[in-house]
Amino acid sequence: MTPSDTLTERPARARHRARRALRVLRAPGVRMGVLALLLAVVACAGLLAGRGVTPGGVRAVLLGAADDPTAEHIVLQLRLPRLLVALVAGACLGVAGLVLQSALRNPLAGPEVTGVTPGAVLGAVTATGLGLAGWDSPTAVVVAACLGGFAGAGLLWLLTGRDRGDPERTAVYGVLVSAVLAGLTAVVLLVAPGELGSVVQWLIGSTEGRVWQHWNLLWPWALLWGAAAWLLAGPLTLLRCGDEQASAAGLATGRGRGAALVCAVALTAGAVSAVGALGFVGLLVPHLALAVFGADLRVTVPGAALLGAVVVGGADAAAQLLSRLLSSALDADRLTLPVGALTTCVGAGLLLAVARRRADER
Amino acid sequence: MENADMSDGAAGGVGASPVRPPRLPADPGAGERGGPEVVRAEGLSFGYPGRTVLRGVDLAFRAGELVALIGLNGCGKSTFLKLAAGLLTPSAGRVLLEGDDVARLSRRTAARRVALLHQAAPAVPGLTVRQLVRQGRYAARGPLGMLREGDDDVTSRALADVGVTGWADRPVDALSGGERQRVRLAMALAQDARLLFLDEPTTYLDLRHQLEVLQTVVRLRAERRLTVVMVLHDLNHAARFADRIVALRDGRVAADGSPAEVVTRRLLAEVLGVEGRVGIDGEGGWPVCYPDHPLDSFQLLRNENHIH
Repeated sequence: MTPSDTLTERPARARHRARRALRVLRAPGVRMGVLALLLAVVACAGLLAGRGVTPGGVRAVLLGAADDPTAEHIVLQLRLPRLLVALVAGACLGVAGLVLQSALRNPLAGPEVTGVTPGAVLGAVTATGLGLAGWDSPTAVVVAACLGGFAGAGLLWLLTGRDRGDPERTAVYGVLVSAVLAGLTAVVLLVAPGELGSVVQWLIGSTEGRVWQHWNLLWPWALLWGAAAWLLAGPLTLLRCGDEQASAAGLATGRGRGAALVCAVALTAGAVSAVGALGFVGLLVPHLALAVFGADLRVTVPGAALLGAVVVGGADAAAQLLSRLLSSALDADRLTLPVGALTTCVGAGLLLAVARRRADER
Repeated sequence: MENADMSDGAAGGVGASPVRPPRLPADPGAGERGGPEVVRAEGLSFGYPGRTVLRGVDLAFRAGELVALIGLNGCGKSTFLKLAAGLLTPSAGRVLLEGDDVARLSRRTAARRVALLHQAAPAVPGLTVRQLVRQGRYAARGPLGMLREGDDDVTSRALADVGVTGWADRPVDALSGGERQRVRLAMALAQDARLLFLDEPTTYLDLRHQLEVLQTVVRLRAERRLTVVMVLHDLNHAARFADRIVALRDGRVAADGSPAEVVTRRLLAEVLGVEGRVGIDGEGGWPVCYPDHPLDSFQLLRNENHIH
């Protein structure tokens, strides 16, 4: 072997090793693991970020070594359910958005712009306005939000009519339906002005004051429809390939799309009834999920759930931290920043980036 | 040769035994003809509001045939394929797939019997070649089966059949038009159906890739004993690769027979609306046409049925 041989061989072997390491990183399992780690970090941040209890106190409560009943109450009865509700609601919205975008084959579809979220908000606000439901009766709110979500999606379904297969038209009608429903919500608020605080929580989305009752209602619903979404991964992947190819391959596209839409509406309504209309999560998490996990929805649906949880959990922690900083800076004791305001601001920026990238690709 | 009048003759033969006698193979390596009838269209009509696309088409394809459908844009070729694959519902008439009315078959059952490669498909960001080809297994595996790994030998075979195994993990979007077309052909092959319908499989491809795709189809037909029906725009390709040519015009069968019977000056004028000459390939023996110029009086000619 000549010296030059070893010289060329060594970088080649190093490159090969580097490539193998990259491939390992690219494996979905590894990415899932990294995300799970991130989820744990976000969860810790969410538990620690709030006011009233120091990080040390939180640790003591979680280890069962606390002797302060107030701290125990704050951590176990307020922060923990709030965190869990935020995570699961985020997962629901992420999966719902992915299912919607795949079923409608429209990267700009999301529960927010297909009438689902505005419908759910309208349902919840109307029920609250009529005195049928409130934050203290979460079951009625879930039912009302689901009815509203289905009504919004149904309205879109009726309006699109024959153009259902056309993503662009569906998107246009979706924006229209969403605007109408938001208008109706405004009318309801004018006619029956409720507590302003609770109304804002609906419209912007907030995780303030979520308790175990919310969690107990949310998780079975999320589990049920999340499982349904995963079972639909096969048809959804085909639907992404276009109706013609999908039906040639043996998928009854109408039925598949119908099932997917029901699943997306149910997931969205569940999330909205728990935390209100969190802006942009359902629209943007699917883009992240597809970029990270690829087009195989068997992996990407669970991936979108994890990503949604990380995004909303992270936003909630950030919102709590910001509220604390703002209130100490402005000396306003009760100032709280709703998590929905944060997701909307960050989401709008991200959407701009996505839209620009898509324009560049053309 | 009275090809132009065959549509009427064929329309009468619904109840009769084989509509046409088996023909001699045009090329020696094409295998035997006259297998059992696998597709049979009876009085097939279809239209959209305000436009009739097909008017009572009667056609039958036998197992192992390689048929080319030709005709002008909008003559109903693609519609015929979609109807025959059960993707559209006819306004009148019916299609029998291996003896069963395709309209009564579930989408999945139909897809197990016939694979249809559409003219074009939308881009699916992020999908790899193997993932796309695997989607062809949907009819065989069902929605829940698609969640499992395994059963991938058919997928691997389909990838190998069109020679794309080497790029199985590349994203489909990154491929060139010709490569993408082969991948889509592999997806259709992954359906593992005995009937393969191809709607203009060579559109957008350069000459080299056109030949590559057509030769792959011819080879697979022989290896897999497939029945292939394909829409082609290039009459010379049809004459060279198909052993039967069906010409459609205004939603009716205008000519039907072996390339030597069908490819004539009269076909060029009546069906395709061009003035041209037809010769014979010196080496292969198949007809070759040299279209010269479009006929201005195409409509007039059709009404008078007047040929020079």
